[in-house]
Amino acid sequence: MSKVGVIGTGNFGLALANLLAINKKQVVIYARREEIAQKLNETREHKGQTMHERVIATNNLGSIANECKLLFPIVPSSNFENLLNQLSPFLTPEHILIHGTKGLHITADINKVESLDKSQVLTMSELILQNTCVERVGCIAGPNLAKELAAGEIAGTVIASRYNEVIKEGKKALNSPVFNVYGSNEIKGVEIASILKNYIAIASGMLEGMGYGDNSKALLITRGMAEMVFFGKAFGASEHAFMGLAGIGDLMATCNSKLSRNFQVGHNLAKGIKVETTLGEMKEVAEGIKTIKVVKLLKSYGFNSPLADALYKIVYEDWDITRGLEYLMSLPVSDDIDFIT
Amino acid sequence: MAGRKTIKKPLPHVFENMEEWPIYKTYHNPDEFLEKVKGRVLEYLSWSQSNENTSLRKELKNIVYQEKMRLSKTPWKSDNPEEKAFWNDIKKQFKSVKSIDNKGDTKDFDNEILIKILDYYGSEMVANFKPSSFRFAQKALPYIYSRLINSFPQGLYKIFSSTDKLYDRMKISGDIEHLRALEKMGTLIVVPTHYSNLDSPTIGLSLNNIGLAAFTYGAGVNLFTIKSLSKFMHNAGAYKVDRRRKHKLYLETLKSYSTTALTEGVNSLFYPGGSRSRSGMLEEKLKLGLLGTALDAQRINLEDGNGKKIFIVPVTLNYHYVLEAKKLIERHLKNEGKEDYLEDENASSFGLLKRTVKVLTSNPGMTISFAPALDVFGNKVNENGESISKIGNVIDIADYFKLHGKIRRDVQRDQQYTQILGERILKEFKANTVVLSSNLVAYVAFQIIRKRFSQFSVFEILSLPKDETTISEIEFKIVLDRIRDRLLNLEKEGKIILSSELELKVEELMIVGIKKVGSSHARYVLRKNKKGVISTQSMKLLYYYHNKLASYGLDEFV
Repeated sequence: MSKVGVIGTGNFGLALANLLAINKKQVVIYARREEIAQKLNETREHKGQTMHERVIATNNLGSIANECKLLFPIVPSSNFENLLNQLSPFLTPEHILIHGTKGLHITADINKVESLDKSQVLTMSELILQNTCVERVGCIAGPNLAKELAAGEIAGTVIASRYNEVIKEGKKALNSPVFNVYGSNEIKGVEIASILKNYIAIASGMLEGMGYGDNSKALLITRGMAEMVFFGKAFGASEHAFMGLAGIGDLMATCNSKLSRNFQVGHNLAKGIKVETTLGEMKEVAEGIKTIKVVKLLKSYGFNSPLADALYKIVYEDWDITRGLEYLMSLPVSDDIDFIT
Repeated sequence: MAGRKTIKKPLPHVFENMEEWPIYKTYHNPDEFLEKVKGRVLEYLSWSQSNENTSLRKELKNIVYQEKMRLSKTPWKSDNPEEKAFWNDIKKQFKSVKSIDNKGDTKDFDNEILIKILDYYGSEMVANFKPSSFRFAQKALPYIYSRLINSFPQGLYKIFSSTDKLYDRMKISGDIEHLRALEKMGTLIVVPTHYSNLDSPTIGLSLNNIGLAAFTYGAGVNLFTIKSLSKFMHNAGAYKVDRRRKHKLYLETLKSYSTTALTEGVNSLFYPGGSRSRSGMLEEKLKLGLLGTALDAQRINLEDGNGKKIFIVPVTLNYHYVLEAKKLIERHLKNEGKEDYLEDENASSFGLLKRTVKVLTSNPGMTISFAPALDVFGNKVNENGESISKIGNVIDIADYFKLHGKIRRDVQRDQQYTQILGERILKEFKANTVVLSSNLVAYVAFQIIRKRFSQFSVFEILSLPKDETTISEIEFKIVLDRIRDRLLNLEKEGKIILSSELELKVEELMIVGIKKVGSSHARYVLRKNKKGVISTQSMKLLYYYHNKLASYGLDEFV
């Protein structure tokens, strides 16, 4: 039986490797740093997760690409292009890549430009298509907080691809009694949903940090989803994906969980702790901060994004959170369901 | 057109012996070929899988009903007089087995009927290839063409003059040597843009002139109305396609025909845009049905182990003058899409001949531009026919079809691949379009008027009174210069090709373009008077010729 590869040793990558192994797959996991691969193989432990015996770590991209035709690249969006450039020479059109990276690749320096063109903003699947010869690309997204997955709790996810073959292979590899895998052909919508939810989680953290309760959070999640749909439609996605696990599902999880990095950033902001300070403490990135800026730079496409606008003022223009919230609540309100036609 | 070769005279065929051409060998034994076509339809049977609850019997009855309706509601002169009897007979047979029906299994009977229908379609469709007919076309077409596109014959002597001049006006450009080399390595599918009924003879002559073995292609049954011409087309590799038939079994038979011709190594020609461009714009969307047969054939070739490669060659046809422009643009404006085929019957072979004769007098020429060849996934191929991925490495295309190390058929996956191929072909169409002086002046004139009435819709602009649509020579030249500059930049980026006319000085370019644009329409498309005022007699035609450059984002430079 062919092996399955996971690229990246972040919390989600490690959890995914174990889920694959539990599902009777031989798993190869790639670590960028040799010592981590070594440590993984010797101690069977990393970042607090104990690795299944069927998981073998490697530091060699060529060998993982050679051994595994099904690969799950799970690395931060900021490293993704770099990874693809190194991996690309070893890939063939037989490979299937299902990424689990919830971020965007921007071909311009977002700290320097005043606006972005659509063509400068790529989802990870688009980046794979652009930088490799692989066509069969998919993504995995949903309410999958790594620590809960690692603890073996029941969860569900969605694998999206324009190829049914990819969805089928992903399901075959991952679906189990503890981890249900759903399929979708709406890859763009699924990717966008899983990216935008990051900043909504920041807002959720803020609300909680300010001491607000469930009503406020429910308002945030519902209107947050509407905002995701507006953005998605402006970029060629249909609303369907947002109603599923990667949309509303992931929103509920991230907005309610203190485990989420983005949530922590928002929570700390409400307590007067600056973003830089929070990010400095965390080893992994908070994609939501970058997404707020990207959404702002894409405003010329005319979608409605009051939440992202308010967050931008708070995070990038040093507005007081209370002022941001007042601004948001004073905007004219529309029909309840204005995001589905 | 720097770096692009233009052929000056016909090249010898890559394979000189016509009897060795796959088209000859395949059609020489039509029964064997049709058995394969039929076998594939039966093997896939996807035409009946869409609705599992429908029995084969129900499907077949539905087909018989549709065919009979077609014969009575939209009869064409080209219809086979015996066809009605064929369907009536099948209907009768259905009735006769009614009693068995109730007792249960009619599968064998239904299959028999299915095969009968497939045999009927096959025998109606199948083309032939006679070297004598082909040789005749080889000789006759250049003659007709030189008459067709050399403007204003001044006397009888011209009729007997050599066809050499033809190639001054009928420019064939692209990496012809590469295409000739690829013919030795695989099977070619030529996919041209489609503007005019003249496209088929134009492309046929071009392919012959670059020395490729004959191509098979589907031609509408409505073109088979004149007996002699019909026979000739049949013998030159044209298979019959009836666009009135839209049911799945027929479409699957057509696809299987195409796939099988390709796996037999027969060069093929499709118009991936479907019908002629009505607006004069470059194709924006392709019909993927026939294109999908390229992928299917490639997969079969790889599975069979012969591994013979299939190459896709996009071609753009660039005319100064499109015969049926007026009719096309009017139809586009009326948006009568659905009644197309009814009108198309009027475009019968006789009508075509008649109109061809009509333009014998004047046509300022054309450019046939061959894009670099692609594999069936839209990758470019190198001089050895190997596929080069977008990141520049040589790849084995069998990998695209593989799962767990084995080549597999997956209809949904291959549809996605076909879509990608379609997108790449569109990109090549755009990049290999040759801007002629006529396109440019039409674009400039229409855009100047449009800008003047920027609040107006296209329809309002098209019905402006004549005195509102005149342009001063000075304004025209300024915009012309600016748009040309932009086009030069696009050419540097590899996004379009400029004809050598565009190197002329602005003044000359303007004059040449105005003279050539739609030169033979009853109303002039553009004219400049002695006072330097440029005017048009037909905004619709101006719009039509302008549209060729409409998808290049040039309007912001007007």
